[in-house]
Amino acid sequence: MTDTPLATPSNPHRQHLFGFLLRRSPLAVVLVGVFMLAAIFGPWLAPHSMTDTNLSAALQGPSATYWLGTDPLGRDVLSRLLGSAQVAAQAFIIVVLIGGVFGTALGLLAGGLGGWLDLVVSRLVEVLQGFPTILVAIVIVALFDPSLTNAMIAVGMAAVPDFARVSRSVAIQLRDREFIQAARGLGAGELRILWSEVLPNMVGPLIVIASFDGAQAVLWEASLSFLGMGVQPPAPSFGSMLREAQGYLAIQPLFAAIVGLAVSGVILGLNLMGDAINDYLDRGGK
Amino acid sequence: MIRYLLGRVFGGLITLFCVTGLAFFATALAPGNPAAVLLGNMATPERIEAVTRQLGLDQPLPVRYGLWIRETLAGNLGTSSVSFKPVLDLLAVAAFPTLQLALASLAVAVAVAIPLGLLLAQNRNSWWSRPMSSLITIGISVPGFWVGLMLIVLFSVTFRLLPSGGYVPPGRDLLGNIRSLVLPVTTLAVYLIPSLVRFVRVTAISVLREDYIDTARAKGVAPAAILLRHVAPNTLVTTITYIGLQLGVLISGAVVVELIFSIPGLGRLGLNAVLNRDYPVVQGVVLLAATGYVVVNLAIDLAYALIDPRVRAR
Repeated sequence: MTDTPLATPSNPHRQHLFGFLLRRSPLAVVLVGVFMLAAIFGPWLAPHSMTDTNLSAALQGPSATYWLGTDPLGRDVLSRLLGSAQVAAQAFIIVVLIGGVFGTALGLLAGGLGGWLDLVVSRLVEVLQGFPTILVAIVIVALFDPSLTNAMIAVGMAAVPDFARVSRSVAIQLRDREFIQAARGLGAGELRILWSEVLPNMVGPLIVIASFDGAQAVLWEASLSFLGMGVQPPAPSFGSMLREAQGYLAIQPLFAAIVGLAVSGVILGLNLMGDAINDYLDRGGK
Repeated sequence: MIRYLLGRVFGGLITLFCVTGLAFFATALAPGNPAAVLLGNMATPERIEAVTRQLGLDQPLPVRYGLWIRETLAGNLGTSSVSFKPVLDLLAVAAFPTLQLALASLAVAVAVAIPLGLLLAQNRNSWWSRPMSSLITIGISVPGFWVGLMLIVLFSVTFRLLPSGGYVPPGRDLLGNIRSLVLPVTTLAVYLIPSLVRFVRVTAISVLREDYIDTARAKGVAPAAILLRHVAPNTLVTTITYIGLQLGVLISGAVVVELIFSIPGLGRLGLNAVLNRDYPVVQGVVLLAATGYVVVNLAIDLAYALIDPRVRAR
């Protein structure tokens, strides 16, 4: 992760985001770092094939050949976890893109322009937030097919209210600040002001929401794939691996334990990262 | 107050309208002609055309949506295209286990999270406050269904204390019913507890900073009495609304928990229907769950208005 310039009031004591994160929450940096490495380089790092089965080596515990053991079809668990990380990263990206684009646009327009648009969007956010994601997922998967993208569209819709709420409140805070008025005085249109003055100033809070909703995306990918509504076998994913593990809890409980620890680590890392970035913004990078 | 409530009812109706619309179009746009499916081997082009007209399938979509709402309000939800049983009967049978699971889990979660959150708020400067908040972050990050799997490994496989799945109706064997629900209820409560504790803690801390708490302290009221008589009631009012927001988590979690522990509830019914493309059942489950969600949230808003005089005055 690079030190993206976050839009906070300039501060002489401000330090780089990465240095702050490393001191504030080293665990978050390590967990997210490992996750990103696995997601990007997983296919090259994997010691074995992700899909080739070998029934004579099924359900082994950790060993020198299979560091994290094997699954019921004798596939290497470590290699499949690396593949699952890539799937989880895709889930992250889809959800944050849907929530970020639609939610931020709605919130920015509602908070910046106000009036009836604000009323409608606020009501919409109120109605949408908290609505059971699983019901949206059931309808979408029933309409189309079980797949990662379809499942994540449902989860992305749940992320829209979060982005909308945050961008709306930042837009309202900024609406009457001097630099906005100055732009207005120079004859800039309202939409142009929202795009080039307000939006860049909410990047920080939006990154925090992206981190938390990204953690939710990974959790939901695992849940929906576990239910059979997401990634379909034989493709690896955290959820489909846990599904396979459920039938063998009595024979090889380590399999379920390892996969669960891996997915928990990814989600924990993203949640801690969100907390840490939030702290960084609160303190103006001190 | 009236305006507030009317606004809430209106919002609820809009949600229901959107969801029923979604549930309807999920079926209407689904591939395959329902008339042909209904006729099976007896299908001839003439018969399909006749049944199509009889079912109103030749009408434009908005008209069909109106017809569908009329049928639904009359209690006719159609028949399953897999088991050919009336959808209403399937829902009625599946609703009880789900309700029992959800209500018990909610009760457990509230009973654990509220006292814990209040205690954490009162002792926010003590040495165990930081490790506890780390624990809560971990709790929020661990997938609930994985906790369920690990509970099975521990209590069913290793110690053989509790069944790893299945559901015993309370009418047949009350003790068996309770035993069959211990692990599912624990798992579902784990979905709710961490975020609820965090919410109660944050809310109680802000209440503790209010002036009237300083006044009570200055009067010499004991800290425990302040917590119970002043902080707890003011925290609970806000927490009720939060529980309404968490209802979606409860419903989503119930589906996963029912699958893990083979509980024949609404979640498993809906899930099997999706994977079997049994559209009338999908529609019924989504309709029932969404209606339940909207109605409970309305009830919570109403309770909120009754408890909090500031809302009543609006």
